[in-house]
Amino acid sequence: MNDPTPRRLLLLDHYADGEDARHFSLRIDLPLAADLAVIPGQFFMLSVPGVGEAPFTYVSLPDRSGRFTALIRRMGTLTEALFAQPVGAVLGYRGPFGKGWPLFFSAKRVLVVAGGCGLAPLAGVIDEAISHYLPQRLSLIYGARNADAQVLRRERAEWQQRLPMIETLDEAPVGMRQGSPLQHFGELFAATPPDAVLCCGPEPLMLATAEACLKRGLSSDKVWLSLERRMHCADGLCGHCYLGPSYVCQDGPTYRYDRFLQLQSRYSARPGLQDHNFC
Amino acid sequence: MMQAFSLDRPERLRAHLALDRALYEVRADGQGGTHWQHVSAKDLGAFEHAVEPPPFSAKSFFFAERELLFRFDGGRFYSAMPEVTPQVLFGVHACDLVAVAYQDRFFAADPHYQARRRATLLVGVDCLHSCQGGFCSLLDSGPAVHGDSADLILLPRGDEASDWLLLVASEAGRNALHGLRLPPAECDWQAERVANSHCVAAEQGEQQEVSAGIVALNNDSIADTVWDALGLRCLGCSGCTSVCPTCSCFAPLDRPSGQDGVQRERVWDSCLYEGFQREASGHNPSAGPGQRVQRFWTHKFGDAFKERFERYGCVGCGRCDRVCPGGIGVHGVMHKVSLR
Repeated sequence: MNDPTPRRLLLLDHYADGEDARHFSLRIDLPLAADLAVIPGQFFMLSVPGVGEAPFTYVSLPDRSGRFTALIRRMGTLTEALFAQPVGAVLGYRGPFGKGWPLFFSAKRVLVVAGGCGLAPLAGVIDEAISHYLPQRLSLIYGARNADAQVLRRERAEWQQRLPMIETLDEAPVGMRQGSPLQHFGELFAATPPDAVLCCGPEPLMLATAEACLKRGLSSDKVWLSLERRMHCADGLCGHCYLGPSYVCQDGPTYRYDRFLQLQSRYSARPGLQDHNFC
Repeated sequence: MMQAFSLDRPERLRAHLALDRALYEVRADGQGGTHWQHVSAKDLGAFEHAVEPPPFSAKSFFFAERELLFRFDGGRFYSAMPEVTPQVLFGVHACDLVAVAYQDRFFAADPHYQARRRATLLVGVDCLHSCQGGFCSLLDSGPAVHGDSADLILLPRGDEASDWLLLVASEAGRNALHGLRLPPAECDWQAERVANSHCVAAEQGEQQEVSAGIVALNNDSIADTVWDALGLRCLGCSGCTSVCPTCSCFAPLDRPSGQDGVQRERVWDSCLYEGFQREASGHNPSAGPGQRVQRFWTHKFGDAFKERFERYGCVGCGRCDRVCPGGIGVHGVMHKVSLR
């Protein structure tokens, strides 16, 4: 049976990490064995009691003491209330939920494409590549609006030393790469054509990335996206996160692109009125 | 095969079942409305099986319109489960029972739904005539109560002088009859049910628009402009989703509780509301009313949902036609989408 009641989650610490974004250190009170089984790309439901509950992704995964971190941007009522919580506050936790990123045992070269806060759900994959060389070669391209909007400052500083990584900004200062990650695909694909691509960012960026990969000869079953949807129950029941006949909280948020296309064509999500900015 | 008994009066069965259960039956409220109402074992009122289904199905008995999920006292979370007592719903139409079976499957892992459901005995009643605008025959949800959707089934007779028949459809139904002495039925009740079904199917007609609409919806031949035109007529009032016996969307609601505590409830929601999918960033995958109307009907008639639930999400009760102020209930929509 599902349990809609959260468990206690303690707010340990936080620091500013990008425009209006904070990197939170959290601890699940009385962690269970299952809490160690989180796969990068999965998400948890965070409650601010009295305000509500919303899905967020893990940056570092829960350890034996239940500690993990999450990058959260102030965006609406719930995050506004979260940012007002003092260190030591008791929050609510449910999770993990959904499908994470695929584990690569065969793909040798994986390209990670991230935009804005979309870097957060990919952090676990990048860390795994660094610590286990799985996949053998992972490279990262990260786009953001401007330097202030870049997140995961500390992590990027480490990744910079450990793997091939490109950062690009819409509004770039002199000496930095400019433009969307897509504008550098020619170069990336010429240097090391990837066997697989993982992408997370604003939906238009992900769709454009997937199409750009297809144009360069990658098949649609080699590209993965992580979708954002409004979610309330995370049990596939409340109905809010639908994508055609699929519920993103259970079947996603990670979708292989061929499956995503199939879901879209079955009962058309139309290219709607979408915000093209990085979140 | 189901066991069948002869029943002189359905009120006798009702009084028996109400002895140790809270019993609910649809009754007129004296002000022009009909509702599910509590009926005691001593109640002498006649059981009136209306041809028209009640304005609200049995949905809210299990999927409560408002449900407490937990309380938080500032330090700890306390689960809240509903306090359930054994209950019986007396005289449920076949279509509504198919909807309950559909939701049983959907909410299989939901503890609140299941707690209420497991405490409930369902007494169905066959329809001898079609309601206005119903099309259960097309969707295989009536007029005869499906044996696997009820515990007991009442079968009224065309000839009013004859006794009613009572069919036992489950072990719980059999146990509930304990202490009630009923003679076995001595007529060909199977043949009667088949004849009733034929009669109702004939009254409902071919429902050409609905079947053509289902085909169009699944072969992706409906232009976006058709949905957009229908969307213009949607007021986002949630009438259809409230009365639909299979609709199941909900939203959480956090509120203060007691002195220092807070609580979370869940309340019925509607996929036709503009903000149903709107994210905190403002991104809204179904910002257009046409998209939301399309979603609603795809959920009811899409083959992908049928694959999962082994039937369509519409049971043909016609309630959406009755409540929609924009005329885009099931027949209104299926008429438009089936036009070529």
